[in-house]
Order: sequence, then structure tokens, then C-alpha cells
Amino acid sequence: MGADTDVGSGSTRTGEFREEASRPEGDRDLPLSERITRNPGPAATWAAVVAVLIAAEFGAIVSGLLSVPPWGWVGGLVPGVVEPVAALLATVAERGAELPTITSRSVIDNTGYQTPSGWEGTTLGLSPAVAWALRVAVIYTYSFTWLLVGWWGYTLYRRHYRIPDWTPRDDVVNRFRRHSWGLFGLTIVFAFVVMALFAPVLGPTTVDQNIENPYENRIDYYNDETGQVESIFVGEANGDTQSRGQGDNNVGPLEYDQYDRFHPFGTLPDGKDLFTFMASGARVSLLVGLTSLGIAGGFAMVFAMLTAYYKGLVDLGVVIAGDSIQAMPQLLFIILASFVLSDTWIAEVYNGGLVLAILFGITGWPALWRAVRGPALQVSEREWIDAAKSYGQRPRVTMQKHMLPYVVGYFLIYASLSLGGVIIGIAGLSFLGLGIEAPVPEWGRAVSAGQPYVATQSWHISLIPGILVVIIVTGFNALGDGVRDAIDPESDIGDGGNENVAAGGGA
Amino acid sequence: MSRHARDDNVPLNADATSSRDLALEVENLRTVFHTEHEQIHAVDGISFNIRRGETVGLVGESGSGKSVTARSILGLIESPGEIDPASAIRFEGDNITEYTESEYESIRGDGIAMVFQDPLSTLNPVYTVGNQIKEALSLHQDLRGTAATERAIELLEEVGIPDAARRVTEYPHQFSGGMRQRAVIAMALACAPEVLICDEPTTALDVTIQAQIIDLLMDIQAERDLSILFITHDMGVIAEVADRVNVMYAGEIVESAPVEPLFAEPKHPYTRGLLRSIPSTQTSGDRLETIKGEVPTPNEPASSCRFAPRCPKSFEECSEVAPIPTAVGDDPDHDAACLLYPESMTTDEAVAHHRPADDGGEQ
Ligand code: SF4
Repeated sequence: MGADTDVGSGSTRTGEFREEASRPEGDRDLPLSERITRNPGPAATWAAVVAVLIAAEFGAIVSGLLSVPPWGWVGGLVPGVVEPVAALLATVAERGAELPTITSRSVIDNTGYQTPSGWEGTTLGLSPAVAWALRVAVIYTYSFTWLLVGWWGYTLYRRHYRIPDWTPRDDVVNRFRRHSWGLFGLTIVFAFVVMALFAPVLGPTTVDQNIENPYENRIDYYNDETGQVESIFVGEANGDTQSRGQGDNNVGPLEYDQYDRFHPFGTLPDGKDLFTFMASGARVSLLVGLTSLGIAGGFAMVFAMLTAYYKGLVDLGVVIAGDSIQAMPQLLFIILASFVLSDTWIAEVYNGGLVLAILFGITGWPALWRAVRGPALQVSEREWIDAAKSYGQRPRVTMQKHMLPYVVGYFLIYASLSLGGVIIGIAGLSFLGLGIEAPVPEWGRAVSAGQPYVATQSWHISLIPGILVVIIVTGFNALGDGVRDAIDPESDIGDGGNENVAAGGGA
Repeated sequence: MSRHARDDNVPLNADATSSRDLALEVENLRTVFHTEHEQIHAVDGISFNIRRGETVGLVGESGSGKSVTARSILGLIESPGEIDPASAIRFEGDNITEYTESEYESIRGDGIAMVFQDPLSTLNPVYTVGNQIKEALSLHQDLRGTAATERAIELLEEVGIPDAARRVTEYPHQFSGGMRQRAVIAMALACAPEVLICDEPTTALDVTIQAQIIDLLMDIQAERDLSILFITHDMGVIAEVADRVNVMYAGEIVESAPVEPLFAEPKHPYTRGLLRSIPSTQTSGDRLETIKGEVPTPNEPASSCRFAPRCPKSFEECSEVAPIPTAVGDDPDHDAACLLYPESMTTDEAVAHHRPADDGGEQ
């Protein structure tokens, strides 16, 4: 074959992960399961670590997965068949929640009271602050371990099981690993997601006990005057721990109240714990944000593929539809529509969360579609699309296989940018008293509740949620920037001309 | 053949071959692009055919309409382009210009496949070469999984890629230019086509690799009895590969002939110009002659010879009468569209022969 048998310009791109030695030859056309059977060592070690991680949180994982859908509502949809199943799953979820895990509240308990002889009720007699901090540390360490194990699994796969030594995606991953701003964004987003996932155990108290049903739960405390341990309704205790700016009416960040409850972020004006409220609010924001992005993204991607592939009239139709939606002021429309829908069954799911998600989704897709339309059109002009057509590939497969992967990267960028926007939007609506209704915690409502006290010693009520929103939105933006730079359209899917000249010369 | 009678642009050789031996027949193909200001007649009434197992060359400068011809055959013309409904492209007895999109899908690949100019952009960089060959295999030979991988490796070996079992799992960027074009050819072969359109398949490659790719294509053709439409701007390549040649200029075929007479006695001034620009026909040291100027954009129906502004032999009538293909030379298959022919006539007679009003023009 003479001169053109060399590897060409591509080989120089093979990065730091080229470790061919451990990849047995002859395994190249086997399915993954076969490749693992032939060299089970690395996979087995990894699986064992994963098993330990799962075991450590088994109950929470089961209940977490099963408790996301609103079973009561799902059961109500189709009574008869679905109802018992839904009820069963809901029970399983509850049972799962009772299984102890390393992050359970009961393993490191931060609720107790101080007697003259020391702390009673807390784990090992630690102070509630230390016990709580310890639990938070365990939760974040545990989550971070998952992140590392995930990365480790990827490198194992890359080194031992993946057939090609190099794929174009490797370059993307390597570029992102060197992108410190993107990594910063990833860290923030990761911290936020962990907060949302572990909301029930992160707070010093629970939403049920402290926020939703304060008059159904009692706590013990040590009464200095009587020298006795007494019990009180949480609601009553909350009444004495309000943060209202003046005088004694304030429990600030990192303070104990008179019932020996520790408040990392202080209390709300009604005496409820702000941190518990925030953690649970993160879950709501993320859930609504992701659902709405799922809806908007679904529309945006399908339309982007269709308009880029067929162009012409299809494109025009979507442009008109998108323009008409964008011509409406988004927040006003959402306010109006959520008001109209407020008495329907759909408004009851997640206390209006689903309605918000759907409305943000429906009004949000044109912006996302516009963002990915350019890249989609660009990729549709690529010669490999023509090549796919020229050997008779069906349009749907061409779109899915040859166009979608290029657009997904851009979609992630704009999705992470607009997720921050949706979170602000939801917070803004709750700030106005719309959207997600009390008592479901939502950050915007904390900002709104604390607004009268911004200039007082109770500044924390508005400020902490406000700052957190800013940090998280910044985090999502940074992540988006990092992904964009990692995808680096110029060097990977940019014009093939230069590459080809180089390759031809090297051939 | 009643169409032919009506159609004054059909070359004489169309009737010479029975349609059974024809793999592909293009008849009076017109592809027009409608832009805001004008209509571009990118392909303006060309006719040619390809017999089974034969290589037909389509040669011309860039902008002459070669690639549009290829895309028209494959039904890849998109708005604002349009194939004139009076055109016919016959493949396996059907006029495929009348096909719906889904009918077209069924002949793309296993009927007519195409090798594009730039192998890097033809291959999708995010999938392995094997994956893309297997995609074609699953579409056209219903092979999946291990069977498809094995077949893909065989195909890569067939196109001369060493260590195919390893290369099948590599990405296009890891291949050199020549190797990529081999992979693209393997992909086309995976469709097992009857007709293979090669659109400048060697242009992006350097000279030694060009020769190898051409040898490969010729080997494959002999083995599989493929019919090839070979599109290029390079007369040197055409001399090596083609059995018959169509010279295209500004949307029209100006000369068509079997390869030997074309190179031995080129008749059309444009063909002569092209041949003078090949290095091997010149004594070394001389500067190559090039045809000055550019191919004009054919933005209105032909009312003159489109080559006239660049033609060294042009005379007054060249800008008034559009020449039609006319038998020239000794070979019955040798046609040229130039007012200088037929040679047996005086210039005035010849011009009269080409004038549209003249009924007996064809003979
Ligand atoms: S018709 Fe006239 S201008 Fe055209 S090629 Fe012949 S001589 Fe030249």
C-alpha cells in the first residue's frame, strides 16, 4: 500500500489515556459484556465499590427513587388498577426511608437539649451544631465519593474495555478537565444538586416537623427555671424564635434558639428554620427547573432537527410559532395562565410546581430552539449528511445519528444557562406570592418574607437565599461556558479543509 | 425512443446501444436553481448514458455543473433547485426523476451510490469508521452485530486497508487522507450498488495516493462489474479511468466520445484547451497553457455558444446561434457542439445546420 499506510494526523491527538497494553488484541469485535468477562478484574473492583456505596444509602435510594412521583395523584388518575400499585410503591418508599443509612438523621442526631451536665439526645453528646456539621460533611463526602467513583469507572472503561484507543469525545472531556471556570461551575452545580437530593437529611430539622406540621410535633427542651425537661409543640416554640428585626426577636445564622435548636442560616420571620427551608426549596427549584427544561428541550430539539433537515416551509412554520410565543411577555403569561389553572387538578401537583414547569417549558422552547437552530442548520449542511442520504439512510435515523449528537452539546450549554433563568423566574414568582404555594418551601418566598427586615439584624432571611440564587445561577453559567469551550466547535466540527490538507500532506 | 425525435439535444450514440445494456441513462436533464434575481441553469439539457461495467467520465472545470449532475441523479437537489419535469433519468427501466422521496431512498445506496470529493467531511467524525460501514451494511445487506463487523473488516481489506481488524474501530481523524477515501469507498461498497458515482474522488489527495485510489476503483469495477460515473476536472485522470468521456461546460455537454478518439483528435476548442493544460502532453520546460477566464454562470437559456468569450476560434455567429451536438470525426460515438462542425460543410452551412429553425439539424 506504499506511502499511505501510516496513521496520519489523527494519531497525534491520542491523549494521555492511550494505554494499549492492557487491551487484549482479538477482543475488538466482542460486545461489552464479553469484554468484561474476559478481563473481569477492574470491573469487579469498581462494582464492589459501587455496591458498598449503594449499601450505605440503600434505604434512601429506594425511597428517593420511589417517592419522586406523587403517588396519591397517580393512583387517583386510574383508580382500580393503578391505585393499589401506587399505594404499594408509596409504602415501599416509606419503608425504605426508615432503613438506616450513613446519612440518616438518626445516625448523627443533632436534636437534643442542654442540661447543666451537658448535651442530651444528640449523638455522642456532641453539640447540635457539631453534630449537624458532621452530618453535612458526611453527606457531601459521600456524594463527592460518587463523583470520583463515576470518573474512576469512566477511566477504567476507557483503559480496559473500550475498543477504540481514542474517540473525539476524549478531547472534549480532556478540554473540560482543564477548564477551571467550568470546573468551578460544575462544583457549584454539584453542591446544589446534592443539596436538592439530600434535602430531607441536610437540614437541622425536617420540613414536616418544623415547617408543614408544627402543631403535630413536639420537641423536648430543658427548662432552666424549673430545672426540668419539658416538651412543647414545635409551633409554639417557633412562635418564640421568630426573626423580626427588633429586640430579642432574632435568631441569626449559626445561632441557637432558647429551645436549644441550632439554626445554621437563622430563622424565618415565623420562627421556622431557614436552612431546612432552603434545602427543601432547592429540591423544588431543581425539580421544576429540570421538568420545564425537559419539556422545552424536547420541543426545541425535535423542532431543530426537523427544521434543519427539511428547511423551507417547516422552518417557516416553526419560526412563526416560536415568534408568536416569544412575542408574549413570558412572566406575565405565566402569571396569567397559572392563575387561570389555579383551580384545576393539575395545579395541585407539587402545589403548583407542575403547572409552573409546564408553563416555563411551553414558553421557553422558542428561545432554546433559536439557540440550537444555527448549529443544527450548520450540521445539516455537512457532507456526511449528504453521504448518509446518498446511501439511502432514512431521515429519522440521519437526524438522530448524524445531526443530534452535534446539537446536544449546544443544547447542554443553553440549557444550563436557562436553568439558572428558570430558577430565578420561579423564585421571582414566589416572591410575588404566585407560583408554588405555601407551605412547600421555595426560595423566592424566603426572600419575600425577609424583605421588610433587610436593614435590620434579621438581614439573613432575604440575603442568604438571594446570594445563593446568584451563586447557583453563576454556577450554571460557568458550567455552560465550560461545556462550550470543551466542545470547541472550531477544532472538532469546524471546516474540514485545513484538517484535510494536513492529512493529505501527511499521507 | 419517441422522445428522442422531439429532442434536438440528444447525442447520436443514444440509439446505438439497446437500453438493456444501459445501467443509467440521462436524457435532456435540466436542473435549474431559482434565486431571487435570476434562474441558474446549472445543468442545461444534457444527455448521456452509462453501459453496464463501463466507466463514463464527466469532465469540466469547477462551475460547469458536474456535481449538480451527480446530485440530480441521486435526487439530492434541494430547494431552491429543481429538476425540470421534462428531464428523464432512467435507472432499471424507471424514470427516477418522477420518484417520491421514499422511492428514491430505496434506490440510493444499493442502486446508485456515491463517493464524495472530500473523504474527511464525508465521514462523520464522531463515529468509528466501522460503525459507519456497518450503518450501510445494516441498511442494505441486513447485517448486524458481529456479522456486520466481520463484513466491515472484509470490506476494509478489500479496499486495501492494512490491519483492518484494528482500523475498523478507529475514528476518521486517525486515518490518513488516502485511507479515509478507501474507507469511504468501502462504505459505498457496503451498499453493493450497481452504479457508483465518483465525484472528484481523488482531488483532495496528493498525486501518489490519487494513482492508488484510481487503481483501487478500477480493480473493484472489474471484480464487481460496477458501472461508474467518474466526475473530475482532471483530464489526466480521465485518460486513465474512462471508457467514454463527456466534456461539460457551463451546464452543457460540449463534446462526448470514447476515450481514444477524444484524446487523439479532440474536436471542440474547449476540449483542446483542456488537453493542452495537462502536463504530460507538453514538452518539459514549457509553461502549461491554461484557458483564460472563468466558466460563465448560465443564467438564461442558451442562445449562443457559452464558450464563445473564451474560445480562440470564435467568430461572429458564435454569439448568435447555440450549437447542438453534431457527429464529428470517424467514430460514430464522437459528438461535439460547436459551430465549426460538421467539417464537411462550409461555415455558413454548418451555422445553418445548428440554427434552431432548421428541422433537419440532427442529421
Ligand atoms: S461554437 Fe464558436 S465559440 Fe463555440 S466553441 Fe465553436 S468556435 Fe468556439
